[in-house]
Formats: sequence, structure tokens, C-alpha cells
Amino acid sequence: MKMMKSALFPQVAEVDITPLSATDLDLVQLLSLAHDPKAGAVVLFSGEVRDNSTGKTVDYLDYEAHESMASKMICAIVEEAAKRWHLTKALAQHRTGKVMAGESAVVVITCSPHRKEAYAANRYIIDRIKHEAPIWKCEYFTDGTKEWGGNCSCQKITGDANKHVYEFEDKA
Amino acid sequence: MKIKVFAALKDYFDKDFLLEEDLKTIADLKAHLAQQQPKALALLNLCRFAVDDEFVALSHLIHENDEISVIPPSSGG
Repeated sequence: MKMMKSALFPQVAEVDITPLSATDLDLVQLLSLAHDPKAGAVVLFSGEVRDNSTGKTVDYLDYEAHESMASKMICAIVEEAAKRWHLTKALAQHRTGKVMAGESAVVVITCSPHRKEAYAANRYIIDRIKHEAPIWKCEYFTDGTKEWGGNCSCQKITGDANKHVYEFEDKA
Repeated sequence: MKIKVFAALKDYFDKDFLLEEDLKTIADLKAHLAQQQPKALALLNLCRFAVDDEFVALSHLIHENDEISVIPPSSGG
């Protein structure tokens, strides 16, 4: 399989993409890497910083990661999705450090011959990264306060902070 | 053993530190940390623990030179 070409970050054929980036995510560059004549469908998801949270105005987020674990986990999730949906290419990259409102914090690109698989795989990858990768956001508000943020609310349903309800499992 | 903590846990502990105490299991470590910082107990109860980048159970036996990460629930994306 093409994606196995890079041993370290086996995300995109013939291109090394680090799963974590301390600098701006270059969506255009990443998308240009994903073009593939075998893929009739390319889906790009960009998770971006909202300018409001819990009723307050957000200035920026600061992302911290357990870098070695998060990197391995993102690669494993992308690889698993690539196999399951027979993707021709796939990649994911998450920011660390300071990300301003309106900027991209995470990008997932999936490519497949037809769109159904690219959409499904993309949703699976972003869901699992959000819930499982050891990455944390600290929200900095314009009023000068900060708050470690927003763990998911899955615990209310599952009774366990580390068991999650995934959107990709929605029947809708 | 070397302990690394992340995110909101850094409000209670240094981001990494050495422990010399005789702690046999991850459960012992968790209890020790909660004793040091009782206010961190609720968060510690939500955390997972990893040794050498692999998640381990509370029953996991600690070795002297282990590097143990205390991992709060994720809030990425």
C-alpha cells in the first residue's frame, strides 16, 4: 500500500507529514499533497477555533500534547481508517501551541475513488483524534481569564471519562 | 521513577518530577499524588496512566526507572 512508504509518519504517499505542527497548518499545501489520480473524491475537514465559548469571547487557544503518544496515535488512527475504507491517501495534522480564533487547529484529508468512503473515513478520523489523542486545549478569553478546556461530555452518557460516543456511529 | 503531568494537572504539580517513594503499582502512585494534592483528586480520577507511551492499568507494577505519564481526558480538536 502506498501509504506505508514512510515508516516514521506513514500518512501520505511519498510525503512525510508530521502529525503535530507547532506552526500554522497550511491547508492549501496539504490539499495539494493529497491530490491523487486514483481518487475521485477528496474530503478536507478543518477544525477551527471559534471566537466564543461558554458565553465568553475567545482570544486564542493554546494546545498542549503528549507529543510522542499523540503522534503515534494519530498515525495509527489514519492507518486504520485507510485500510478500513480503502483510501488512496489520507493525512491528519493537529496544531500545538497558540492558535488564534479563526485559525485551523486540526486538519484531516481523506481520498478515495468515490465520496462515500472519503466522507465516512474523514469523520471517523476526526472523531477518534478529538476523543482519544492526548492533546489538550487551554482557552484564553479576551477578559484575561483562562480555562483548561472542554473535555467532551461523553461521560454523562457512558459513565466513564475515557469511553466516548462517536458521531461516526450515528444512525442518522 | 519519573512522573510527567499534562494540561490542568500542571495547576497542581510540576510538569515533570522524580519520585523516590516505594510505590508498587499505578494505583499506589495515584493515591500518593492525591495525598500530595487533595484538590487534584477529582481530576486524577479521570486520568489514565501511561508507561513508555503505552496506557497501563491501575494494577500495573511500577519499575524503578519507569517514566510515567498522567494523562487527563483529551480535549483536542
